[in-house]
Amino acid sequence: MKSKFLGIVVAVALLLGFIISGNVAAAEPYHLGVALGFTGTGTLYSKDQLEGIQLAVEEINAKGGFLGKHPIKIFQQDTQTKPDVGVRTVKDLILRDKVRAVINDYSSAVAVAVKPICREYKVLHIAAISNSENITKVNYSPYTFQVVPNTYMQAKAASYAVAQMAQKKGWKEYVTLASDYEWGRATQEEVVADLKRVAPFLKVKKELWPKLGETQFTSFITSMMGMKPDFVYACLASKDNVTFTEQAKPYGFFDKIPYVGSMQSVTELITEAKTLPRGLVAISRAPFFAHMDVPMMASFVKNYRAKFNGKYPSDWAVMGYDAVYALKQGVEKAGTIDTDKVKDVMKGLTVDLTRGKLQFRPIDNQLRCSSYVGVVGDDPKYPFPILKDLIEIKASDCERPEAEIIEARKAEKK
Amino acid sequence: MEFTFFFSQFMSGLTYGMMLFLVASGFSLIFGVMNILNFAHATLWLIGAYLCFTFWSLMQSYDIALWLSIPLAAVTTGAIGWICEVVLIKRLYKRELHEQLLITYAMALIFGDLIKITWGPTDKLIVRPPIIQKPVHLFGAPIDSYFIFVIFIGFAVAVGLWWFLKFTKYGHIVKAAVFSREMVNALGIPIPRIYTWVFTLGIFIAGLAGGIQSAIGSITLGMDMSTIIQAFCVVVIGGFGSLTGTLVGSLIVGEVFSFAILYWPDGAMVLIFAITAAILVIRPWGLFGTPLRA
Repeated sequence: MKSKFLGIVVAVALLLGFIISGNVAAAEPYHLGVALGFTGTGTLYSKDQLEGIQLAVEEINAKGGFLGKHPIKIFQQDTQTKPDVGVRTVKDLILRDKVRAVINDYSSAVAVAVKPICREYKVLHIAAISNSENITKVNYSPYTFQVVPNTYMQAKAASYAVAQMAQKKGWKEYVTLASDYEWGRATQEEVVADLKRVAPFLKVKKELWPKLGETQFTSFITSMMGMKPDFVYACLASKDNVTFTEQAKPYGFFDKIPYVGSMQSVTELITEAKTLPRGLVAISRAPFFAHMDVPMMASFVKNYRAKFNGKYPSDWAVMGYDAVYALKQGVEKAGTIDTDKVKDVMKGLTVDLTRGKLQFRPIDNQLRCSSYVGVVGDDPKYPFPILKDLIEIKASDCERPEAEIIEARKAEKK
Repeated sequence: MEFTFFFSQFMSGLTYGMMLFLVASGFSLIFGVMNILNFAHATLWLIGAYLCFTFWSLMQSYDIALWLSIPLAAVTTGAIGWICEVVLIKRLYKRELHEQLLITYAMALIFGDLIKITWGPTDKLIVRPPIIQKPVHLFGAPIDSYFIFVIFIGFAVAVGLWWFLKFTKYGHIVKAAVFSREMVNALGIPIPRIYTWVFTLGIFIAGLAGGIQSAIGSITLGMDMSTIIQAFCVVVIGGFGSLTGTLVGSLIVGEVFSFAILYWPDGAMVLIFAITAAILVIRPWGLFGTPLRA
């Protein structure tokens, strides 16, 4: 009798234990690291990106989280847009906060520095807005995914537009102006190489390299005006882009020299709505107005504006949002939050995002997303200028051939 | 190189140099007189820029907003400098140089975080009044009209400081303190009070420079770190404590950078650091500095 009673007690205890542990497992939150440059040169973009991430997380958590049972918990860190700080903060996120994935950074230099850390600790690394091609092309990590068109794709897209204009306007010589760091150098290199291929009649007159975070572009502006090139091709981003534009305007620079290739994301279009010179030929990474026909984008814009006081989402917010939804679809496909399994299914996975149905290319985990080139101009639908005559250059038309990636990796091993 | 191009590039270098002079003159003055190497100097310059943005934001509907905001920012930054001196810097006079550097570096970090808390992490941009939105042409070269103002203020500060040091009683005391503070003290002149006002003046000029900088491009966190390094190059080249040296050093840095980018764009900054290093090796007290202080 006594042993029967003891057996029942043990069985009930085991059952309770199983139920409790089952509940605990069901409630296990998904720790998502967000390591962005909230200070330094990446501030403008990182803040918007975080908002996109927050909205996606809020929407997913409203339905119970990943797989309906893993609420996402964001752990946020400031990388100060510095590689050494980025490495330190991501290590903190991994070791202290036990994150399973890290969305990082504005700066490609930070993303490149963080990549081996994520691989070492087997944590997913999503480069949502940093777009140096080297993040995925060389020193490949199966844990790193890129949801932004990379430098090669952007350069090819821009070259496509510039070649067309050069032919039309009889341009012969140009000057490049690129920020002196990983992204600027990689983009400029691609631009020059690609223009040589698609418009061999164009010659580089001078290459200028203002440092990242330059506060005085005056000497660069006057030197370019003195050289009188047919056009200037710029690869400046974030604050540098704003500073250059503000300093070049009083010189009448934009009236004298065609200025192409600058990146004008929705952030610049909004913040410089009154002052941005119209007619600039600009490239963009993920402007929301290019895809208002995609239901997910339309819904995102609506919800984003509702949450953030009527503000329109920038490219960075779009890509932050897409990063979380790409991860969600990876988790759903894997049926688990186990990082290795999610990583395996995300390779080659096609995901539904605000920018349409897009695939992670198996060879490098680069999302096969489009790039956009257009002319800055006003639109009565929006209280800020947008990119008019928008050309969407699909990934299939501007991504690096796989054979070249294989070659680059072979060369790297030597 | 055609003259117009040369002149245009020269003016760019002059503007760049003048902006550096405005930052470096206060830095040099404080070191020269007080022997305090204030690593937080450029952070106070940045505070001046943010303060200017705040004042401008409050008055932006008026065309005069920028012109009022710059002196207001300078005065407010000067007041912050006065508080810093009375509360903290006063205690550093007898400390070793490395201790001063560590403490003022800590100040720079604290102020940096306070800026972030006060103004947030996003960049700030001042829209210039219409009068300085168009270029002016000198000898056929387009010049940003605001830079005429910058060059004017730079020279005005240089002349003002020169006049103050050369022709006023307090200027003579300050100059005497550079060479022998003990002797000045022995004459019954209250050195601590002089130091407080010299520090306040140095930071006032930094605030003025920050206010002027705020209308040149976006104001962003972290701008101070690259600026303090350039200011350091300027005073090393010109000589710590020398007004003439600071002016010449600023112009050297500005013009070397401006012309170097035409011929060696990759190495424009390298050239400036190379000149700084060469001066440190050959003439550690700088072009216009004095080898030893009594």
